[in-house]
Amino acid sequence: MIGITMFFVALVMLLIGFPVAFIFGGVALWFGVYAEGPDMFAFMPFRIQSIMENTVLMAVPLFVFMGIVLQKTRLAEQLLESMGKLFGGVRGGLAISTVLVGALLAASTGVVGASVVAMGLISLPVMLKYNYDKKLACGTICASGTLGQIIPPSIILIILGDVMGIPVGDLFQAAILPGAILIGAYIIYILIYTFLKPEAAPALPMDMDDGTRKQQVYKALKAIIPPLALILVVLGSIFAGIATPTESSALGGVGALFLALVYRQFSWKMVYESAAETVKVTAMVFAILLGATAFSMAFSYTGGEEVVEHYLSNLPGGAMGFLLLSMLAILILGFFIDFVEISFIIVPILLPAAEVLGIAPVWFAILIAMNLQTSFLTPPFGFSLFYLKGVAPPQVRTLDIYKGVVPFILLQIAIVISILLFPEFYGLV
Amino acid sequence: AAVLISPAQAAEKVYTLKLAETWPTNFGVFSEPARRMADLANKMSNGRLEIRIDTANKHKSAFGVFDMVRAGQYDMGHSASYYWKGKVPNTLYFTTMPFGMTATEQYGWFYYGGGMELMQKVYEPFNLMSFPGGNTGVQMGGWFQKEINSVEDLEGLKMRIPGFAGEVLAKLGANPTNIPPGELYTSLERRTIDALEWVGPSMDLRMGFHKIAPYYYTGWHEPGTELQFLVNKRSFDKLPADLQEILTTAMRVAAYDMTIQSYHESGQNWATMKAEFPNVEVKSFPPEVLAALRKANDELLAEHAANDELAKEILDSQAEYMGVVRQWTDIADRAYLNSFE
Amino acid sequence: MFLLRLEQTINAFSDWLGKISAVLFVLMLFNVFYDVITRYLFNDVSIAMQEMEWHLFAAMFMLGVPFTLKAGGHVRVDLIYEGLSLKKKAWIDLFGVLTLLFPFCLLVAWYGVDFARESFELGEGSGDPGGLPYRWVIKAVIPFAFFCTFISGVGLMLRAINTLNGHHKSDDYIPTQH
Ligand code: NA
Ligand code: NA
Repeated sequence: MIGITMFFVALVMLLIGFPVAFIFGGVALWFGVYAEGPDMFAFMPFRIQSIMENTVLMAVPLFVFMGIVLQKTRLAEQLLESMGKLFGGVRGGLAISTVLVGALLAASTGVVGASVVAMGLISLPVMLKYNYDKKLACGTICASGTLGQIIPPSIILIILGDVMGIPVGDLFQAAILPGAILIGAYIIYILIYTFLKPEAAPALPMDMDDGTRKQQVYKALKAIIPPLALILVVLGSIFAGIATPTESSALGGVGALFLALVYRQFSWKMVYESAAETVKVTAMVFAILLGATAFSMAFSYTGGEEVVEHYLSNLPGGAMGFLLLSMLAILILGFFIDFVEISFIIVPILLPAAEVLGIAPVWFAILIAMNLQTSFLTPPFGFSLFYLKGVAPPQVRTLDIYKGVVPFILLQIAIVISILLFPEFYGLV
Repeated sequence: AAVLISPAQAAEKVYTLKLAETWPTNFGVFSEPARRMADLANKMSNGRLEIRIDTANKHKSAFGVFDMVRAGQYDMGHSASYYWKGKVPNTLYFTTMPFGMTATEQYGWFYYGGGMELMQKVYEPFNLMSFPGGNTGVQMGGWFQKEINSVEDLEGLKMRIPGFAGEVLAKLGANPTNIPPGELYTSLERRTIDALEWVGPSMDLRMGFHKIAPYYYTGWHEPGTELQFLVNKRSFDKLPADLQEILTTAMRVAAYDMTIQSYHESGQNWATMKAEFPNVEVKSFPPEVLAALRKANDELLAEHAANDELAKEILDSQAEYMGVVRQWTDIADRAYLNSFE
Repeated sequence: MFLLRLEQTINAFSDWLGKISAVLFVLMLFNVFYDVITRYLFNDVSIAMQEMEWHLFAAMFMLGVPFTLKAGGHVRVDLIYEGLSLKKKAWIDLFGVLTLLFPFCLLVAWYGVDFARESFELGEGSGDPGGLPYRWVIKAVIPFAFFCTFISGVGLMLRAINTLNGHHKSDDYIPTQH
């Protein structure tokens, strides 16, 4: 029960506005010391070292740096503006472009922090500049930055493959269609929303002296190609076997510097300033991870896991009832337990029942992955929300982000339900 | 008021030990020994010995087990000795060695050939005790994108193969490469690396390597990987003599049981793999390559022996034991197996 | 005035950590880039260089935490916080630093010292061929960084005290800006 109490205390403490990372760490400390004594914290250096050695996480600073350089050189802005203009009279062009760029980043990393923060840096300022509704802008970024979870390569799919004994390649393949449909759903939602509420996402102004539509398209393409090529180089380096997914983000960082050089914007001062910004954003992300590891340590060593296990061991219902209840349970647990914990601790509890009920493992895995992706977005503890807040300009408030993600969460839930009802359509059974 | 405890009550005192595993939750046969040992110890002691197991998912530090048991944060660990090579170089020799003993031979060395004494000699300065913890048997040599037909083919080969075996390969010009486990699949598929070594059929098939690499090479570098029970000496000394005996017996039985379970599962998985994925091409390195690897291995071991007295003592003991027992393996197992050809 | 000067000194120290981190990041970027290029073009792999990647990465974000604290970069849930007066914000920071940040940082730093010392005593190095020696250095970053975060927290505490004493007139709370 201590784990549950701790969770609610942290929830209330978050509201006072002290930095999130230290609320996690500090609350874990008081509850941990109360229940187990201070020596439990002798485990902290070990846990911290595991984060330090987790080279996959290097994608966070590397992508952030790429984003900051593209932002400082205004190349990102030009990319998004030009894409937005290509959509011509379509409202919400910037938001749609954001989803597409997010999908590309997602295809090269599975680290959510990396893409949310990079997208926040690249596209939030542009959308705000063109008077986009803050809520729509934030929701779009959080949702498309979190796509990295489901679009391969994806860490969650690798972990689930391991835990459930399914070849990773099978899961990667199975995730492509649901991922694509999710992207499609985001875009359709943006189109409908901006059609109904035009002032939320103004179409970009077309300059009269820009010449014919043909010339405009040509101009736009010229601005799109270099930064887009950079992102494609990042992806291409993985497919060509030049770099691992993590390393590809370093190619992105160096490539961004190269673009700056080509556009005569390179200076060592710019590199240093971008690096300092990168440090600030990265430290913000990792401080949360450090606080969260203390929090999950206190949660599990004070018996929180057993409580959860107990409630999950005996879910009633047939195949559909079991699936519904387990999805609901994962969604709720996702509010406050890390997705890695859920995969390793909760999934093995559910697995035997799933097997008995004859639920196809790949289907089950994709459902869980989609569901866990949602947990990154769910207020108040969804990490994507914190990450975006960490890089957002001052006029964006936590509440804007919370409100902004709600429609996207609903979309995700709708798609989870559709996978639940029509697995044949997704080729999952 | 003084509380009087009768001898019978004292005998009923429950001792609780905490054990940390290097493995994540549900890590196949690796997860068995600790659980079986805990269960046996509990039943044999009539509930007086209780062992609680934390997987790496709980303590989050797969390779911190040595330090955590040493410091007493955990009383016991289940891991493998060669993981501690960076901390205590001589721990390397108590898991398996390239071109070394088979599981059966090595158990003979441990329990009747002086191996246990040497292992204690290595661990004692760190306030630790180490016991065999179950054997995986021969591990496969790994998945390759290209065939290895000559020593030259090893030149520049980018392979994920950690530890001492990587050192042996590096001596022949190969490039041992660090790749995080989560990116192994993509890296091998896209040929960012040419080859990798993982565990054996069951774990390898879970990773799906058979779908992306054509060649599965037989083993040379881990002929009998022995896992390890680590015990904090102070925790052990606190136990009454009968519980100490129960604990050691439970560890020994659990290790034995994993060894046969692992053999059984490898057999099953191999059959499944052959049936379901007939396209996987199973290969062995040609004799020329194996000879070169052996030579590199011997040279490296000679260096180890020259640098450290205890290392020399261990390696000499292993070589001597193997020199004797291998003759018997040849006459017994090899001759018998040859009779089927 | 002494408290103001002390606050400034600590802030300068935190900024200095930020500079080190920025340099570590640039080194890490080119380290990874170098490793990719040499592996792909020259078929050459160095485990030491590969390990150097995460050494730089880890030191960078660990030392970045105290710098970011001073720079106001750590995320806050500002549902209520944003509407509060300067003094109320200062009280929250004072309370948070004393009850949450200080104990957390000091306890982790305390246990981190033993953690690094054991590695030093063992002479721990990499277990992989050609890997880096002196593992204690990167392990020592844990207690060092947490101690620095404590120091940076002292700076935050002083700022809160100085604010309550009326020394900081403007609203210093500027959510992170990039
Ligand atoms: Na991804
Ligand atoms: Na969550």
